[in-house]
Amino acid sequence: MSRRGRTGKRERKWLGVAVSEGAAVGRVMRVHGGAPAQVYHATVDASDVRRELRRFHAALRLARRQLVTLKRRAEHLLGSEHASIFDAHLLMLEDPKLGGDVEKYILDERANAEWAVKVVGDRLLAVYANIKDDYLRERSSDVEDVLGRLLAALSGESRSSRLTEDAVLVAEELLPSAVAELDFAHVRAIVSDAGGWTSHAAIIARGLGIPAVVGVRDLFRHARTGDEIAVDAVRGEILLHPAQAIREELASRTSGRKPAACPTHDAGRAPLLTGDGVEIILRANVELPAEFDGVKRYGARGVGLYRSEFLFSQRGGRVPSEDEQFRAYAQLAELTGDDGAKIRLFDLGGDKLGAGEPETERNPALGLRAIRLCLRREDVLRTQARAVLRAAARGRLDLVLPMISDIDDVRRARTVIDDERTRLIGEGVEIGAIKIGAMIEVPSAVFVAEKLAREVDFFSLGTNDLVQYLLAVDRSNDEVAEWFRSLHPAVLQSVQRAVSAARDARIPSIVCGEMASGPAYATVLVGLGARELSMTATAIPRVRAALAGIEIGAAEEIAGECLAASTADEAEEIVRLRLGARWPQLFPPKALPAPKAGRYNSEQAVRGGPTAS
Amino acid sequence: MYERNVIVVNRLGLHARAAAKLVRAATAFRGGLRVERADGGGAADAKSILSVLALAAACGTELRVVCTGPDEREAVEAVCALVESGFGEEVEA
Repeated sequence: MSRRGRTGKRERKWLGVAVSEGAAVGRVMRVHGGAPAQVYHATVDASDVRRELRRFHAALRLARRQLVTLKRRAEHLLGSEHASIFDAHLLMLEDPKLGGDVEKYILDERANAEWAVKVVGDRLLAVYANIKDDYLRERSSDVEDVLGRLLAALSGESRSSRLTEDAVLVAEELLPSAVAELDFAHVRAIVSDAGGWTSHAAIIARGLGIPAVVGVRDLFRHARTGDEIAVDAVRGEILLHPAQAIREELASRTSGRKPAACPTHDAGRAPLLTGDGVEIILRANVELPAEFDGVKRYGARGVGLYRSEFLFSQRGGRVPSEDEQFRAYAQLAELTGDDGAKIRLFDLGGDKLGAGEPETERNPALGLRAIRLCLRREDVLRTQARAVLRAAARGRLDLVLPMISDIDDVRRARTVIDDERTRLIGEGVEIGAIKIGAMIEVPSAVFVAEKLAREVDFFSLGTNDLVQYLLAVDRSNDEVAEWFRSLHPAVLQSVQRAVSAARDARIPSIVCGEMASGPAYATVLVGLGARELSMTATAIPRVRAALAGIEIGAAEEIAGECLAASTADEAEEIVRLRLGARWPQLFPPKALPAPKAGRYNSEQAVRGGPTAS
Repeated sequence: MYERNVIVVNRLGLHARAAAKLVRAATAFRGGLRVERADGGGAADAKSILSVLALAAACGTELRVVCTGPDEREAVEAVCALVESGFGEEVEA
């Protein structure tokens, strides 16, 4: 017998590609993509041609105003990198090729404005449909988006729609403007028939931590607004009219987006203790201002990693001034209060600052970037240090030095920072005390961890880069995705060595890579000795739930077996079998990393795929 | 008239945002600017984003930038420099 949902309708399943990890249960909100399907054709009287031209120009002005507002909103929420797409939309709207052709068509054919826009638009789109390059062809959706906006403006419609609390957006194709127009707080998940990794919807969904599945063929035609829907954006599964059991299972896995599953302020703030009473601290990784809300909402103990390079992209690649940085950091200090925030120095490549010769950098991951760039461009480091020191007067801020490969990097950076501290005091400017930590992500730093621990106030373990550098696997290269193995015994040994070195030197260490955001991996990290983890805020409730149920002794035992494994496969097999056997209620088979075949793809799909820049 | 050839180096090619940067740069000059595919596969008014997009210039495409006007040299060099910089994006190694 087939399973049925609450309304008695038969449960139906679709498969797609998960582009932003997570899970959600909610109700369908259908979002229409581009142009309305029906555009009527009328031949107007010669005397009315002027009126059609006026209507067209009024629609252009209205669409323009909408885009300017949208661009400003996207800049604020997502930074200028994402907002720049609307600059392209503005240029399309103002393109003489569009406006001129439409006017000419209205005049020559005595057509109504809608029809003229449709005919001219279809001609343009026909050109783009023949483009061979996938990415460039996908861009025709931007042109469609602009045409749709223009047609909507002609009909006097506003395209934004009201969202219910538990909206799961279902679209044939989610256009960039539709994404930016959304009230993100109300969106639980995004599902679309079309789209790929590089679509803006996917990029923005990832940035905001909204689960998203794309490439779900034919769902839009079958889903009705208000239908119950379950989205598993880990496996890429969509269920329409989900049966009760599935709803409950997914609801328990939803990362707290649902108000009911969201920890109350107090529950979230209560210390997290493992089953045997060891305290674990969970903090949030933050980049976009839109993510600030989540820090408190998901019960994070402050920000464990603030990716300050966002300030760069927000200003279109310009070095943010001391005051601009100060305002951003002060906001962070006020947001996180006593829990504080750890600000990572600009983790940028040389090409972003115009230092060095980008075209001669054949291997940018090993090139002039992060701390190396900060030391080369001392002016940038000084400005950032001053801004952080000043903002630290408003709350607890720490500074993290990225890509440390030699203790000398730390000493040189410290000299500059100390120098700026002395200067600020001399200038009579109010400053706060900051701690300085080292990112442990280059293998050489692991090898000198014991000595390094005596030179810094804390360690931050960046597992993504550690895996990349240790295993020599380019994270952004799909061809080598199967060699990117977070549970490789060499990775685990490195984590253990760094964490132990910190403990012996009596300084804190925090693990802040993607690894920390999965309950199974987080358990292994705790078993290796980690007591502080930092992750995407949306992952905190699920990691919290898992860690509250484990016992340290058993986690250490399992981690010990993984450490002794010979291969990454072996370590993964140990995790899969032992966690499920020890805590079956916490780690049902579905919550564990999938066995070999599907795993690399799905992990890669969530973490390592190409991103549009 | 002044002209120069340049190769698209950013991984994603001349997509919407890159094209927007190019058009913004081009409109800063008075001269009429054209961007052509060196393989003869199309030509575009550099001040029209819709025609620049229609060039479908993927990474590796060779373009010819042509300008006639009082500031022709500066205009061509500015547009070429932008293309060569990969529009501030990830560049194909």
